[in-house]
Amino acid sequence: MGSRLEEKSKLVRKRIEGHTFDDEKGDEYEGSKFGGFTEYFRRKKIKLQNLDAQLRAQSADKPQIFKGVVCHINGYTQPSLNDLHALIVQHGGGFIQYLDGKTMVTHIIASNLTPKKKEEFKRYRMVKPAWIVDSVNAGKLLPWDAYRVVDEGVGQKVLGFDNGQVVSQVNKRTQGYKEQTDASWYTSQLKGEHSQMPGTSRKQPSFTQTLTPGEDIEDDEKYPAPEITSSIERAFDQDGMDDGQSSPQKLQQPRKLPATNTLIETPPPTSPPLAPIQDERAYPGEATGADATKLADGNASRLRPREGSQEPDYSMAIVRDSEKLNALSPSRLASMTAEEHNALLLSDPRIRKSTVVHPDFLEQYYRESRLHHLSTWKAELKSQLQALAAEKSSSQKTKLKKLPGQRRYIMHVDFDSFFAAVSLKKYPQYKDKPAVVAHGGGSGSEIASCNYPARKFGVSNGMWMKRAQDLYPELKILPYDFPGYEEASRKFYDAIVATGGTVQSVSIDEALVDISAICFAESGTDGVKRYEGAVHREQRKADLVAQQLRDEVLEKTGCAVSVGIGGNILQAKIALRKAKPAGQYHLKPEEVLDFIGKLEVEKLPGVAWSIGGKLEEIGIKLVSDIREVSKEKLINALGPKTGEKMWDYSRGIDRTDVGDQVIRKSVSAEVNWGVRFENQEQVDEFMLGLCGELHKRLVKERVKGKQLTMKVMRRAADAPRDPPKHLGHGKCDTYNKSLQLGVATNDTAVITKEAIGMMKTFNISPGELRGIGMQMQKLDPIKFGTEGTDVGSQLKLQFKVGQSSKTAPVNQNTVEAERAPEDPIQDVVTPEKQRVADANKPSVPVRPVNHSTPTKKALNMLGTQFVLPTQVDPSVLAELPADIRAKLARHVRPAGQSAPVPAAVNNHEKTSWSPSRAQSPARAFALPNQSQLDPSILEALPEDVRAEILGFYKSPGNRKRGEQALLPQSPRKLRTLPPIKQPVKRKRGGGLFAGRARSNLHSGDNSTLTQSNFVARPLAPKHLQEDGAATTTDTEAEPDELDAEFLAALPEDLRKEVLDQQRQARLQRTGGIDLSLHQRPKARKKKACDEEAPLDRLLQIPPRPSRPTFTMRKLTELPDLRVAVKAWYHEFSDEGPYEEDVAALVKYLRDVVHDERDMTKAVAVVKWLAWLVEEGDEDVSEKVRVAWARGVETVEQGVQSAVEERGLGTVNVG
Amino acid sequence: MSTEATTLRVIIAAFTDFLTVAIHTILYERAIYPPTSFLSARKYNLSVRQNRHPKVCEWINDAVSAVETELLKGVVGRVAIVIYTKDNHPVERFMLDVSRFPTVALADLDTPLERTAANGDRLPILPRIDMEEQFRATLSRLASCSSTLKPLPEGCVFNIAVELKQDGQPPLNHPQPWMPVQSAKGDAVGGQLQKKAVPVRSIAAGELLLECWIEEADGAS
Repeated sequence: MGSRLEEKSKLVRKRIEGHTFDDEKGDEYEGSKFGGFTEYFRRKKIKLQNLDAQLRAQSADKPQIFKGVVCHINGYTQPSLNDLHALIVQHGGGFIQYLDGKTMVTHIIASNLTPKKKEEFKRYRMVKPAWIVDSVNAGKLLPWDAYRVVDEGVGQKVLGFDNGQVVSQVNKRTQGYKEQTDASWYTSQLKGEHSQMPGTSRKQPSFTQTLTPGEDIEDDEKYPAPEITSSIERAFDQDGMDDGQSSPQKLQQPRKLPATNTLIETPPPTSPPLAPIQDERAYPGEATGADATKLADGNASRLRPREGSQEPDYSMAIVRDSEKLNALSPSRLASMTAEEHNALLLSDPRIRKSTVVHPDFLEQYYRESRLHHLSTWKAELKSQLQALAAEKSSSQKTKLKKLPGQRRYIMHVDFDSFFAAVSLKKYPQYKDKPAVVAHGGGSGSEIASCNYPARKFGVSNGMWMKRAQDLYPELKILPYDFPGYEEASRKFYDAIVATGGTVQSVSIDEALVDISAICFAESGTDGVKRYEGAVHREQRKADLVAQQLRDEVLEKTGCAVSVGIGGNILQAKIALRKAKPAGQYHLKPEEVLDFIGKLEVEKLPGVAWSIGGKLEEIGIKLVSDIREVSKEKLINALGPKTGEKMWDYSRGIDRTDVGDQVIRKSVSAEVNWGVRFENQEQVDEFMLGLCGELHKRLVKERVKGKQLTMKVMRRAADAPRDPPKHLGHGKCDTYNKSLQLGVATNDTAVITKEAIGMMKTFNISPGELRGIGMQMQKLDPIKFGTEGTDVGSQLKLQFKVGQSSKTAPVNQNTVEAERAPEDPIQDVVTPEKQRVADANKPSVPVRPVNHSTPTKKALNMLGTQFVLPTQVDPSVLAELPADIRAKLARHVRPAGQSAPVPAAVNNHEKTSWSPSRAQSPARAFALPNQSQLDPSILEALPEDVRAEILGFYKSPGNRKRGEQALLPQSPRKLRTLPPIKQPVKRKRGGGLFAGRARSNLHSGDNSTLTQSNFVARPLAPKHLQEDGAATTTDTEAEPDELDAEFLAALPEDLRKEVLDQQRQARLQRTGGIDLSLHQRPKARKKKACDEEAPLDRLLQIPPRPSRPTFTMRKLTELPDLRVAVKAWYHEFSDEGPYEEDVAALVKYLRDVVHDERDMTKAVAVVKWLAWLVEEGDEDVSEKVRVAWARGVETVEQGVQSAVEERGLGTVNVG
Repeated sequence: MSTEATTLRVIIAAFTDFLTVAIHTILYERAIYPPTSFLSARKYNLSVRQNRHPKVCEWINDAVSAVETELLKGVVGRVAIVIYTKDNHPVERFMLDVSRFPTVALADLDTPLERTAANGDRLPILPRIDMEEQFRATLSRLASCSSTLKPLPEGCVFNIAVELKQDGQPPLNHPQPWMPVQSAKGDAVGGQLQKKAVPVRSIAAGELLLECWIEEADGAS
């Protein structure tokens, strides 16, 4: 050190160390004088030091680790300033409350600094409060630089010491309150149930983990406890360091452990193979008998790493023993990038096998995960039940209608300690002994189920094994027996369904059954009226049903079930409590209130310590207490939903109904174990797999989703690369991102594409990834069409793929054809005859679809992009509604004898886009006036059909149908639209919709791809085509004829427009000038007129009579007039106005009054003139003045008379 | 120039807006109702007064919509806001000459209008900004009319009248919002009523041509 920092702080330190306090007789205890603030303050500081000195003297037993340290605390810290102060002083440090200068102290403690202060204090020792806490915990002064508040930036490598070597480390830390909160001492106290001690590494024995949630309070009370244990552990830690696996991050990240507290709560993703269970059972005694202190005392070396129930057998040992990792120097390890680290890790085949890089990972992952197993099982069960219920309700014709005030009989059937009971069947010898089902005897194993003898000892489900073994060391541990569970569950449900009530599965081992109907049948009532006998009969029947059910299940499975019967689900659940074990209880309506009232609130279903705690705050302990409280107060305390629910529950009311299906809101697939990537390709590949999994689940749930949410867990910057749990995710930052898909989908490709895109936006290096989850929300159920094709939602593919939609998927074949893998372009270029001939295939070949090449995109000049095939599968046709069939029938008839489409047609279609198409032989099939037609349709048609279609154009009766085709239709209907919209286009001569069609066309023209549209437009008729007519062949004659006929049939104005359009198109092609740009405003204008007044064009207003003007210069505006009048006056100021001039002015002003009707202007001019004359030059002669005055008078009179002539009375012009 | 197609209906709607504001302004300036019953409002970017009594507002709105109906028929020559004394003698008339509004057939009310100048340019039918400026000017003139007009006697009332064009058919159908009267000329009260005209302003915004003046009964009091 020895820096400038030292000088002053050394002085201060010495002063503090030398500071003694004997009694309150020093001068600092004298009263301060008036105005002597400095004196007062000096004394105050001395007095504060007195206090410190006293405190230090009192705690001489504490290790004086902070000797030589003088601290100041800046800002909010955790622990608080007081606590830190006490800690520092008690451990021999100096503390300065008031910082007179930055160099006064050796360290300044702060959690966070403002940017300004960061700059200001950059060169000082800014330390996080954790330094104090950890140092105290460690019992020695830890290097402060691991706790820097201000550092050199994240990218800067820093030098560090490790075992005497200088190592370069990547400087990484997180900042901010979140970290502080997560890692803070208080938080760790709150989460104390799993608290692991600061400074522990992954190999640290963590016996405190086994504390159950209930114990965190005790934990709080004996606050120093963690310190004690931690110092012991630290001691182990030091010992254990030597075995080669101490990580360099250790020094660097001494505080990482509190964070892992949160992580441990995440559900374990995998279940280990059964083998390790056996392993662990081999030495149960080691863990069972030991309690924390005992272990700490003697068996330290025998402590095993946490044997999590979820951890695979190749646990830490692999990582620990991996020579590859060990071979590397710690410094090397530290300097690797995350990817390199992972690559190294994955280079061990055993590890690789269990990470996402392994191709079978996902499959294996989901196969082995216990939670996954159970949840999918349940989902299956539910869907099975649903199917069963649907079957039943349809066969039972009427589901019992629920009447208000009706009595209900709900059974809640539940296995007694399901897992335990089933597992015990294999080990009957343990039946009467306390036994639990768990993954293993390891202290960290969680108890999945325990039998009743075990419960007597206080063992309960979900308890950590350690705690259970504390309660009863001889506890028998049974392995899972999944096949057994499944079988038992199946039998159980068979029996339940056999009762004939409405079944709702709660989980694999419990179910709700509504047997009201059965009971009413017994009593012969409707369940509303109250006959003494009937109610009794019903209740008896309910009991009987329950008894039979229990007997049956016991007989079939060998396990006891309990049944609670009540008037609703709540009552049934509560009754079940009393029924257990192996009994049944009927909660009669009259005893409901008493029964529930006596319960503690936390006994209510759905109420646990969190709600219970809140209720206790407002003085509620028993359910009956809730009834004393107003609903509002409950809602205030618990929120609107829960509050109301509690209010209802306290009165035995439960509105949910058996069989109410909770609608699934989301489907997700998530992996956060074993996620280790070396490079981006692996990520993408994995995403594909994960999306596939999501797809599978979506399909299973028969839903599609519209919103995709991605959750990504990224290794927290300060977390070690190898988390405490083998291949677990460790401490992570979690990021979420959502995406609206617009159209519901469950397509793997779409999801994958979006997912990979989203992943890229996170911009997380592959090596830092620790978990990926995909979730699909906003689910739409898939409806299955008659042929099993999905018609539930919009068919996005067809819709997007512009031209292919023309194939109008009427039947499944069509859909298949569209999805056919072969490139549709080839279909066009080399058409297969049989393909067209085959009636099951769409007659219209799939058009090339390539959005990136707009030149290939034919102009869709029709009102809709949907076209119906002219050749229709008769079987499909038969299923269509009559009206649609009728429309289709017209086209189906010729389809029978349809000739194959000549290849030339398609050739033509292709070549017609090129400028040279005029010379193309394919022009044989050039169609008339195609600018109005979709060429692809007509060309694909057999000749006779085409003729018929063209015939349509001429038949007047066709218009109506054409219009109909333009009406907005639901997407589903679009699939069966009749193919008759060309007529509309051509017949747009009349009717409202015709105008729309045209406007459609205009909007098409407005696209930026105008050029291509016009290029794609088929050949213009010959007689309009001066330039291209050179190579006209005979075959063109027909189109021309048709064209002429058609044109003749059009109204005059339309014909003109059609021709105009063609000319324009031709110019487009030949000249390449985008005329449409110039045309556009006009077109739009016309459109507007059409819409507003279909019959009229613009109304030309007849020209207005021109305004009267003054003088030769045709003045009309008042300022001009004034100027003119002024000029006139000045001109004639020496001789007086001429009569004619005055008369001219009068005439003009009369005209203004009469014709322009602007009396104001006339009056203003008069007034102006009068003013001019009045204010005129003094030197004018009297004669002139009089002449002017007379002139003014004349003008005034003229205006006056003009005004009077209009009948306006006199006007004040003076 | 406004982008929307200007039809006669649009022009007349613009006028009736103005008429409503003008009536409120006159009522305020001539103190027909107590000044405290008026709110300050903003129209045409000008601070104007609006009576806040719902009945008054309703009456004015009804009257204006009746005027609008007649305007759409194209038979109105002038619109007058007449102020009477307690004993029903007219003292002031605020005149709006609307006879030069474009006339179109009833069916063409919603047909966009077009006027082309001699050189073929299209002229604006209803230049909004210009129109609003002129309305603003007219309203501010109206607002200062009190300085030139004689104070009104106590207890005056007001009414709205329309003068039809020469060939205009009076609206005689049921329900009858208008009361037909004979031409004011040669009034029963001693022949030609002596009156004085105070020009206010003319408005010429595209096709909206309007002249506004005040007639004051001369020597009535």
